[in-house]
Amino acid sequence: MIKKILQSFKVAKAGDWFIIILFFALIIISMKLLWNLPQGQYLEIYKNNEILATYSLNQQITKTISGAKGETKITINNGKVRFSSAPCAKKYCIHQGWINKANQIILCIPNKISISILGSNKNYDSINY
Amino acid sequence: MTLSTINISDRDHQIAKLSAIAVALSLIEFFFPSPIPGVKPGIANIVILYTIFKFDLRMGIWVSIIRVFVTSIILGSFLSPTFFLSLSGALFSLLSLIIFKNLSPKFFSLISFSLIASLAHIIGQFVIVRLWIIPHDGIFYLLPIFILSAFIFGLVNALVTNKLLELNPKK
Repeated sequence: MIKKILQSFKVAKAGDWFIIILFFALIIISMKLLWNLPQGQYLEIYKNNEILATYSLNQQITKTISGAKGETKITINNGKVRFSSAPCAKKYCIHQGWINKANQIILCIPNKISISILGSNKNYDSINY
Repeated sequence: MTLSTINISDRDHQIAKLSAIAVALSLIEFFFPSPIPGVKPGIANIVILYTIFKFDLRMGIWVSIIRVFVTSIILGSFLSPTFFLSLSGALFSLLSLIIFKNLSPKFFSLISFSLIASLAHIIGQFVIVRLWIIPHDGIFYLLPIFILSAFIFGLVNALVTNKLLELNPKK
């Protein structure tokens, strides 16, 4: 079976191998370029879709914010951040876990609080969409 | 009363037959679940590659365009986003084949053409997705997966077509 597949490659000519190598290079370059998300630097906390505060991610701190339903706790731990406590029923925001890459977001719809990580430069706004 | 007659040539019959096979393959593919959403092998393109190499590029263009329209009408997706994705993919592939048709057959076999066309297909679909369906840069995160699948299926389709051409050599 493998032998047969290898045999079918015999039709490939010099130019084909060139195109195959080019294609391989393209796959690797696109992975390098598009999957290399920069580490986040800053955390933005939104309440009712308005920026409430911005914090540096390089610290160890827990913030308590009162939202529409109650108090939400957001924990920053040296470069990553998560919702550590929330008043909502399903706790989706807590189950999202830690985020640390630029442009990642976590939303808590019932409590109307969301957090968004910024890189050193802001390439696009995830909240806009 | 004047009668208008349409002269149907052998060529038209060939196009109709090949298009029918391409449509059938598209439909078979539609009913198979794909392991990754959005990644499809595109087995109908085997027929189009076969047509181009057994006959000529013009005939391949006919078969490709007819396939897109007929498949979408059968599946009820005519003029829906799916249809435009499919159309733009087909048009980009055909355009790439027209641009590269003068590559010397001494150095390039249909493997090159298949790979070029499959890459153009993914680019064509991505242009539509980025500009219209999901206008957000986040989708570029998925592009490497689609380029990889274009590579794999472009290669596999080329090898299958080659086998078919060996079984039915050009007269």
